[in-house]
Amino acid sequence: MTDAFWRRFIFPGGLWLLFFFVVPIGIAVLISLGENNEFGGVTYGWHSEHYGDALDPLFAPVLLRSVGYAAATAAICLLIGYPVAYCIARYGGRRRNLLIGLIMAPFLINYLVRTYAWVALLADEGLVNSVITDSGITSDPVQFLNTPWAVVGGLVYGYLGFMILPIYASLERMNPALIEAGKDLYGTPRQTFWHVTWPQTLPGVLAGTVLVFLPAVGDFVSAQLLGGPDTYMVGNLIQQQFFGADNWPFGAALTICLMVFLGLFVFLYLRATGRREALA
Amino acid sequence: MRRREFLLGGAALALAGCGVGPQSAPKPVAVKVVPPKIDGDLLIFNWTEYMNPKVIRRFEKHYGVQVTVSNFDSMPAMMAKLRSGNRYDLIFPTADYVNRLNRLAMLRPLDRGVLKNSGGIYDFFDDPWYDKDSAHTVPYGMYTTGIAWRADKVGELSESWGDLALDRAKGHTFMLDDFQEGIGQANLFNGFDLNTTAPDELEKSKQTLEHEKDFLRGYSTNPAPNLVNGSAWVHHAWNGDVVNARNQSKQPENLRFQTCKEGIPVGSDCMAIPANARHPGTATLFIDWMLDPETASENVSWFGYPMPIKGTEAAFAELAADDPAIQITTEQLANGSQFRELPPDGKVAWDRVWTEVKA
Repeated sequence: MTDAFWRRFIFPGGLWLLFFFVVPIGIAVLISLGENNEFGGVTYGWHSEHYGDALDPLFAPVLLRSVGYAAATAAICLLIGYPVAYCIARYGGRRRNLLIGLIMAPFLINYLVRTYAWVALLADEGLVNSVITDSGITSDPVQFLNTPWAVVGGLVYGYLGFMILPIYASLERMNPALIEAGKDLYGTPRQTFWHVTWPQTLPGVLAGTVLVFLPAVGDFVSAQLLGGPDTYMVGNLIQQQFFGADNWPFGAALTICLMVFLGLFVFLYLRATGRREALA
Repeated sequence: MRRREFLLGGAALALAGCGVGPQSAPKPVAVKVVPPKIDGDLLIFNWTEYMNPKVIRRFEKHYGVQVTVSNFDSMPAMMAKLRSGNRYDLIFPTADYVNRLNRLAMLRPLDRGVLKNSGGIYDFFDDPWYDKDSAHTVPYGMYTTGIAWRADKVGELSESWGDLALDRAKGHTFMLDDFQEGIGQANLFNGFDLNTTAPDELEKSKQTLEHEKDFLRGYSTNPAPNLVNGSAWVHHAWNGDVVNARNQSKQPENLRFQTCKEGIPVGSDCMAIPANARHPGTATLFIDWMLDPETASENVSWFGYPMPIKGTEAAFAELAADDPAIQITTEQLANGSQFRELPPDGKVAWDRVWTEVKA
């Protein structure tokens, strides 16, 4: 089959990206350059001042906090997700697909609804605290909610699946004979893991990290429902401009700035992985 | 016109033409008043837990239609949905937003003459400030903002907005996640006009908000669950929230509500039919259904706010017997502080204060 034939299959995906990625971003750019009118709507125009507002140092701590939470989320997801993916891929046997299906099952339920369930479970007089206090572990309820821990916990719970799947995929692709070869060469289990398994699954780990980190930076649900007064994230800031303050141009400018920032991050990631693949 | 402006204008026009993006100017629409008659299923757009579901189920059964309720959690969120072209049959805007919707010509005229039960509406709402001659709206709830609290945790409070910064409730206090209510209470606490836009006054109120933030556990618009699940001991709240919380609590006697001596925001909201509603006939019929004193009483007992409809007073009095502070009368509406639409630069200043405090 010729290349020309296969190239046609780019069109459906390309069209999809055009309509649901390029056009929306174009609209966001247009809105960000507009002006807020007295009805809370947007008068299109050519105003750049919203970008100046968006880059106000006032918002630097908000962005840093978001990046910090997202990095912590990615790290915890990796710590939890890698062993899970490893166990399923290595020891799951013929139940592998079932186990992966079970991992993904919670994702059939909306993230927002699952986060509300956390509120009910972790409240001061919620289920978890009543078990802890009734069993005498502590006398006073533990404050889980409205803390940075709760926000990161909510993010981990929300995005864990995006870490497990790519790691699982790269582990499953890996030839188990490689591990045996490592052992045949007198590698301890630990050495075999770090010298054989880990490098083989690194692309999966990096993909998982990006898939978790990116949506986590822009997330607003976790901080809004589980956060406290000092856990305001950039997603909350943007959401506030659209649904709280009727200030769409400023919200759009913030969105574009965040996208440029994250775009840079992805660019560095792609360059890093590209270089490694070139070396391999 | 320069080329760049032309292109930009063209793109904006194209977007507006597709119905994408917010519109910028009111478009006059000529719509006829429709009789209250079933013309399809009903799609309601309302606050959460703001209407007794039983009342809705009965309407469905009686007329053999399906009623779907969709929710918003703030007025700007409602506006965003309406502006992006979503079509609802019945919406519940607050007074200041009715004003804005009217200027955008986004509401369908509503002739009270066609409503069987319209005689029961309080005269006070014949010609309200937000809707000339009540030509587009029927009043729904009357509310006030104050402080709800758990008496078992913090004892008695002092009827002041200062109770939002109480040492013994530090880390257990919540503020409403609403820029109007947040800044509004700080303005009142400082003795300013509720809607002040004076820079020095807003600066002072910002300091108040920052001080209060040290005592907060969070910002939330869900006082009832926060109070019931024990996370909140003191909660900036609307009067109906405490009724709602009591209905969910095992120890309702611990849940209290107070208004504040520095002044309180009061307000009312409405039922209205958007200009682009698909089924205005059913919506009109539903409005009439809600105005029936017995139905309205059933609704009042459930959602906790007084409705300005004759014959519902007893139902509310029963709720207010536990808690006189939740009472709100048309006299208070006439004399009290109501949120108004701010002038554009005033609005920018308020947004800025709220964003800076929260960031």
